[in-house]
Amino acid sequence: MAVNEKVLEELLNRYPAKVKRNRKKHIIIKDAALARQEIEANTRTIPGIITNRGCAFAGCKGVVLGPLKDVVHIVHGPIGCAYYTWGTRRNKAKSEDPTKNFINYCVSTDMQESDIVFGGEKKLARMIDEVMEIFKPNCITISATCPVGLIGDDLQAVAKAAQEKHGVPILAFNCEGYKGVSQSAGHHIANNGLMEGIIGQGDWEEAPGKYPINILGEYNIGGDSWEVERILKEIGYTVIAVMTGDGSYEELKNAHVAELNLVQCHRSINYIAEMLEIKYGTPWLKVNFIGIQATIDSLRNMALYFGDPALIQKTEEVIARELARVEPIIEQYKKICQGKTAFCFVGGSRGHHYQGLFAELGIETVLAGYEFAHRDDYEGRAVIPEIKPDADTKNIPDLHVTPDERRFRLKLSPERMEELKKKIPLSDYKGMNIEMKDGSVIVDDLNHFETEEFIRLLKPDIFSSGIKDKYVVQKMGIPSKQLHSYDYSGPYAGFNGAVKFAEDITMAFVSPTWNFITPPWKNKPLLEGIVAEGGCSEC
Amino acid sequence: MGKKHTSCRNVNENPCNMCMPMGGILAFKGLEQSMVMLHGSQGCATYMRRHMAEHFNEPIDVASSSLNEKGTIYGGEKNLKQGLDNMIKAYRPGVIGILTTCLAETIGEDIDRISQEYLREKGYGDLPVVTVNSPGYGGTHTEGYWLTLRRIVARLAQKTGANSKINVIIPNLSPADIREIKRILQLMRVDYILLPDYSDTLDRPYQKPYRKIPEGGTKLADIAAMGGAAATIQFGLTVDESMSPGHYLESRFGVPLYNLPVPMGVENTDMFMNMLMKLTGNPLPACLEQERGRLLDCMIDSHKYNARGRSVIFGEPDNIYGVAKICLENGIYPVVVATGSKNPLLVKLLAEKLAHSPLRCTVLTGTDFTTIRKQSRGKANIAIGSSDGRFLTEKEGIPLVRYGFPIHDRTGGQRLLSVGYAGTTQFLDRITNTLLEHKHKHYRKSMYEMFYLNNQPVEEFFLESSGEQHDVFMQ
Repeated sequence: MAVNEKVLEELLNRYPAKVKRNRKKHIIIKDAALARQEIEANTRTIPGIITNRGCAFAGCKGVVLGPLKDVVHIVHGPIGCAYYTWGTRRNKAKSEDPTKNFINYCVSTDMQESDIVFGGEKKLARMIDEVMEIFKPNCITISATCPVGLIGDDLQAVAKAAQEKHGVPILAFNCEGYKGVSQSAGHHIANNGLMEGIIGQGDWEEAPGKYPINILGEYNIGGDSWEVERILKEIGYTVIAVMTGDGSYEELKNAHVAELNLVQCHRSINYIAEMLEIKYGTPWLKVNFIGIQATIDSLRNMALYFGDPALIQKTEEVIARELARVEPIIEQYKKICQGKTAFCFVGGSRGHHYQGLFAELGIETVLAGYEFAHRDDYEGRAVIPEIKPDADTKNIPDLHVTPDERRFRLKLSPERMEELKKKIPLSDYKGMNIEMKDGSVIVDDLNHFETEEFIRLLKPDIFSSGIKDKYVVQKMGIPSKQLHSYDYSGPYAGFNGAVKFAEDITMAFVSPTWNFITPPWKNKPLLEGIVAEGGCSEC
Repeated sequence: MGKKHTSCRNVNENPCNMCMPMGGILAFKGLEQSMVMLHGSQGCATYMRRHMAEHFNEPIDVASSSLNEKGTIYGGEKNLKQGLDNMIKAYRPGVIGILTTCLAETIGEDIDRISQEYLREKGYGDLPVVTVNSPGYGGTHTEGYWLTLRRIVARLAQKTGANSKINVIIPNLSPADIREIKRILQLMRVDYILLPDYSDTLDRPYQKPYRKIPEGGTKLADIAAMGGAAATIQFGLTVDESMSPGHYLESRFGVPLYNLPVPMGVENTDMFMNMLMKLTGNPLPACLEQERGRLLDCMIDSHKYNARGRSVIFGEPDNIYGVAKICLENGIYPVVVATGSKNPLLVKLLAEKLAHSPLRCTVLTGTDFTTIRKQSRGKANIAIGSSDGRFLTEKEGIPLVRYGFPIHDRTGGQRLLSVGYAGTTQFLDRITNTLLEHKHKHYRKSMYEMFYLNNQPVEEFFLESSGEQHDVFMQ
């Protein structure tokens, strides 16, 4: 059954009137015939509604900063938030120098009641000294949790003093959980801090190899960025920095030498992409390495940007070879997956990216959405000028950068730039909605009530989301795929990742487990007989 | 008892505990038809749901009042009321638990007043609401758990006529353990009230249709009757009186409290059985006696392998006391016993038991995993505790037997059975087999090192630690 306006209205009628008015603006049924379909996003979650959203701290420390491996990330606050972000995102990292990989550590000031009353600045300062002595990191970040901002600890001052004392960059992030409306606020705060405190601090003036690029918004969940780097390096690209999966301070500080910035997750990192363009004149290219066709398109767009015939040829060679290798395998899985339907509700960009990969397996995405995206992630960047900043967004300061006097250099002539923009998504993102089929449902900040209702209406064959709704869905008898952490699997990016994904999704469909859900006596007449009293219920 | 050192470090490096509201959610999930609301930033609810879902493999619905910057300035009253409204409409709960977070406590929210006002305004006069002040900086999840139980009893238990029931109050045990305790109580023909009972709510069978609130949990009418019960058995030897639900029932309603250790190991389970026989006058059923016999048979069969074991035990105070007892009874002498909780009662209890151990043991309270790791290095050959101890395996080569909460890198934490005679038998087998597996894997290498290279193990000492450290050794 498809969802039409009438069915949607009935669903929403079960909400209190005020909630209905709010949620109605966050749900659309795709209709390409309409000139435009506006969706509300990045606004406050309704209290009590069982959202999947997290907080600013999660977006800052958990998502953007956490994967930087040679940095010790101090959580300034009571212990919970540090514990909850300890190794939970599966952002993998390997290091040539094992003494400079702190990805497995969870470090906190563990504030107690007395610290809340008397302030935690001194404790934090002492702790930084200890962290320097124990770990000798290249850089330290400090992330604040809720009470820190309320009691007025001056993180920036503590960080500044410590930086002077120890001679390594010490960056403080005021990413208290109550800021903004979701993780998104934290991404922005982290972007600002990295841009201000790390990027461009290195002394490289030139890239060490040909076609130097940065990969932005790739967090190496389950090894995704390793697969992407494998392909890019073979074609001949020089990867300067990955932000931030398997990334490091050492790489990030020289990110200014890249000639092109690739943007994988638009939501979490577009701020840095924009700022790099203004400050160093480096354009960004929206890429998508999830799915075979999306990977191929991204590789061709990159080659076109650099415009070197040798690079274009090598790109085609690698594509042809990889295709020949993976297509026959995917075909096998496609036979099983063909004709099935999926829900795809993830954080900021995966809700869009995985639709193509599903389609390659013959699976249609009938409902998609984002947990914490903004309107531009749905409708494309063209709508940015009309998004009015509200009180919550205004609380997150924009960082205004200016062209770097020494290092700013236009990588392309304005004419070439305009010409390329017509062909490839250069410094632009068209959003998710445009690629969705008519009649499919787009939901922003999907909650548990709506999850259950839409499952009943649309009966998808697979539901891809996160761990909080995973078990609701499985209890409803539908397989799920965690697209935040990949259920201990991955990588899913690039060519090898597509194969892995096809294998995992097929496994969910063909598992014999589903055959036992209905017990045999539910299909047959009940056995006749008498139940003896007492029985053996006791021993 | 020997020396005592206190913390000289400010860093908590790899924490051994979570925060108060986490324990509170767990306690509330053991009440029938309950829903929980966290008053604070929505990230708190999201993080805790995520972690509990990973351990129990179950949906964990917890609402949040989603406080934002405005709420921190003008107070969160409006958000909390609106949140309660939406949650009640969607879930129709029979009881609501409201827990505070760092944020709500720092800005000084009066959740008692707000919730009472809300109930009056909406005419929900008879909907029971239990409020708990549980800031993240107020203690670990263990304290959050017990404090919540005490608040539940204080709010819901009533001065009723005397009944013949026995209250059984349990610490953070697995759903399988709860089911085992219930089985023993049924076998002993005890009319009991078990609190909190999340054996079904957090380990529900697959069944259609899907219910928003799972079936099961301690009935509110039963909690009301706890005030008139004949006795309370509380597996909470290490619980401070201020957080003890059993102590509340005793001082407020005169219900005699028997604080017992978690029934893990022969002696602890014997104490439980003795208590049940004493309270009910019923004899021990033959099948339980047989289970005790099988446990002893298992202990004897495995004693040679177990004698090689030197354990590092970590987790929540009452649970690790039980584990330590099993280890002591089987010669798997503890060399480190550690908890993230600052619990002086545990130290005292352990000191009494460890006084008879031939090995020096370090008891760590308010500690972190980095300290546990340093203290265990070169001394322990088996670790027993939650998944967070996996670094002991990865970095120190000490194999880990998973027990407690959370277990997030393996499946089935909710199904681990470790209490009673039968549970102890299974638990001991898990330990013995881990020792054997480790031995078979490393036998040739260790023989080679010992006899051909003549390498002796090196003793290392670390003075720096997080939290309190107590050296316990035989007098």
